[in-house]
Amino acid sequence: MARSQPLGSKAPRSSSPRPRPRGSLRDTLLSYAFLAPALILLTLFTFYPLAYGSYLGFTEYGGARFAQGLAPKWIGLENFRTLAADPLFLTALGNSVKYLVIVPVLQLASLSVAVLVNKNLPGMAFFRAAYYIPVVTSISLAAVMWDWVYNKEGTLNWALGAVHLIAQGNFFGWLNNENTAFWAVMLVTFWRGFGYYMVLYLAGLQSIPAELEEAAVLDGASAWKRFWNITVPLMKPTILLCSLLSTIAALRVLEEVLVLTNGGPLNSTYTALMYVYSKAFQGFNFDYGLASAAGLVVAVVALLLSVANFRLFRESDGGET
Amino acid sequence: MKQSHKKVLFALTLGLGLATVSAPAAAQKPTEITFWTWYLSPKFDPYIKDTIAAFEKANPGIKVNWFDKQESMVQDFIASVNLGNAPDVVNLNIDETGKAAQNGFLRNVDALTPLATLKSTFYPQTLANFTVGGKVYGYPWYGSLNEGVLLYNPDLMKKAGVSAPKNMTELLNMVKTVKDKTGAYAWVPALKDPGGASFLGYFYSDGLPIYDAKGNAAFNSPAHVALLQKYVDLFKGGYFPEDALRKEAFQLATELYAQNRVAMIVGGPQALNRIKDTNPGLYAKTVVTGAPLGKANVQTGTSMGMVIPQASKHPAEAAKLAAFFTNNANQIAFAKIVPIIPTTAAAQNDPFFKQASSDPIAKATALVGASGRFINPGFKAPGNSDDLYKNFSDNIEAALLGKKTPKAALDDAVKFWNANMKK
Repeated sequence: MARSQPLGSKAPRSSSPRPRPRGSLRDTLLSYAFLAPALILLTLFTFYPLAYGSYLGFTEYGGARFAQGLAPKWIGLENFRTLAADPLFLTALGNSVKYLVIVPVLQLASLSVAVLVNKNLPGMAFFRAAYYIPVVTSISLAAVMWDWVYNKEGTLNWALGAVHLIAQGNFFGWLNNENTAFWAVMLVTFWRGFGYYMVLYLAGLQSIPAELEEAAVLDGASAWKRFWNITVPLMKPTILLCSLLSTIAALRVLEEVLVLTNGGPLNSTYTALMYVYSKAFQGFNFDYGLASAAGLVVAVVALLLSVANFRLFRESDGGET
Repeated sequence: MKQSHKKVLFALTLGLGLATVSAPAAAQKPTEITFWTWYLSPKFDPYIKDTIAAFEKANPGIKVNWFDKQESMVQDFIASVNLGNAPDVVNLNIDETGKAAQNGFLRNVDALTPLATLKSTFYPQTLANFTVGGKVYGYPWYGSLNEGVLLYNPDLMKKAGVSAPKNMTELLNMVKTVKDKTGAYAWVPALKDPGGASFLGYFYSDGLPIYDAKGNAAFNSPAHVALLQKYVDLFKGGYFPEDALRKEAFQLATELYAQNRVAMIVGGPQALNRIKDTNPGLYAKTVVTGAPLGKANVQTGTSMGMVIPQASKHPAEAAKLAAFFTNNANQIAFAKIVPIIPTTAAAQNDPFFKQASSDPIAKATALVGASGRFINPGFKAPGNSDDLYKNFSDNIEAALLGKKTPKAALDDAVKFWNANMKK
């Protein structure tokens, strides 16, 4: 089979630089004018909060100081020292990093199902929609439903009991046990995220030129070979995007933990974002400085993992081309 | 010159005329105040709206803009202070009032309404609940008792061969019997509350102190340990539902009671409203009687209050509204709609609470409605309470799940409190 140039791979570099397109000052100003609204919004709602939040991480701000209208007080690395000495934060950060286990499983599963529902078979639209429903289901409704599943007398215990994997006398609440609660909540995250990534993969799959598949079929390539040599290389940008989004989402898990276990039992499901949320928003003892510092730590971890993701994909990309 | 004189005269006349016309308009422009309630809409919209209308009629110079806040109340409050548009009257509970006052968010209301008036309106204890550092920070509003009344399913009690417990010792002693003989839980205790420290209430009920004379945490004496041990043994034996560690006890108890899986509920009459909706047959059978109390023979309870933020731009008008909503007549009117306990001293003599009835809600209301004087959480929220309550709950949970002995759990919590409590 002739190897085609994957769409996501780097373009060969030409030996001489391209001449820079020359535009008039008017054109340049016009381009900036078009960019301006987006830039202003980004500055207001992304860059400024990001910079201010990072700054707050090095300050004492919140509680009485806030009520009296006093400005944040610069305290250097004090908040980070507090975090390093707080066993609850370390547990929370550990849980968030452990939560990343879900990323490869979620990506593999959603890519596989996207390949299946990408077939032009009758009824596929139903499956695509059905897999997407959890994405748009409210978390409070999902919590009630999963509570029925995980309860001591819930459907999961009964299902396992029916196939004799667990005796009725040994039924237990999956969310009440520190050994199972973490994985039980993670399954809910999987259930909620699966459809979202599947749709992204489906969009990626549908952008692959059909003639490549057809040529491979004519060459006698098996379905597995076609998947591995055409689909996967061409899907790399989508896989990278989904992995990044999924990594960041895993580090930011909050809602399902709040409604299903509130971080328990024994803080086994207490995540870093829950720590940030409790420090910043719960009660009047809030501490924006400490919460911002904790948020900054989570952001740095996310950044490092994103860099690792990029490197991983670039290296495997280099191997391919 | 003559022409210019005429112009000046005309301008003056016009100006005077306009001033005369606009002056009454300016004088009539009412002061607008913002009022936030907490989880009361839409169920109590008619009551709130009618009371506001009555207040505006009595105070034509004041217009009230009402908003009901729910989940995000505290965050919204903090944000509004930051944005410079703080509400004027806010409905907060005792605990949140304590925290907000400690952090300097509130005005002391005894500077807005004479202390003598406050003292003559409310029970001394309900006023003390909103007193922080010797100053009153809230107008006590509707309350509830943690013990309140005992409701029970007579069929399950008969099957278990027990009768209504007279005190907490009796109740704890019958927990095993009821479960063993009926398969239903006897009762769902409030074991864990991450937003508060509900187990401290059991200590208080048994006359065990939370703080020592110096204000340090002191809930780790042998007597405290023994009481916790009792609960731990019952939990480990499966005599309390596992979910009690994860769900709010009141919600879980009413859910299970309606399914005939819990024999007794100790709490406010409000539980009956839910049972009436979910299982009317069981509601009709439910027996209501006096609540079993701990060794100290005291009730515990909580109430809502109306507070005036430090950042309020119209504190005098705000104080008028708060005083109006929390006065005896308006609290009694509220109690007629929903079984709350008024916090006003005059409520204890109101004929509404002396009516005899066989209806469980009416009976429960009659039993507790005039009990406002017993509303007492039993302990003051400590400074830095969110961190301390979380640590306390975590330690109780560790004891219940067998990760720590009750003594180690209480020792650890006391150590953490004393190291992190801001007094």
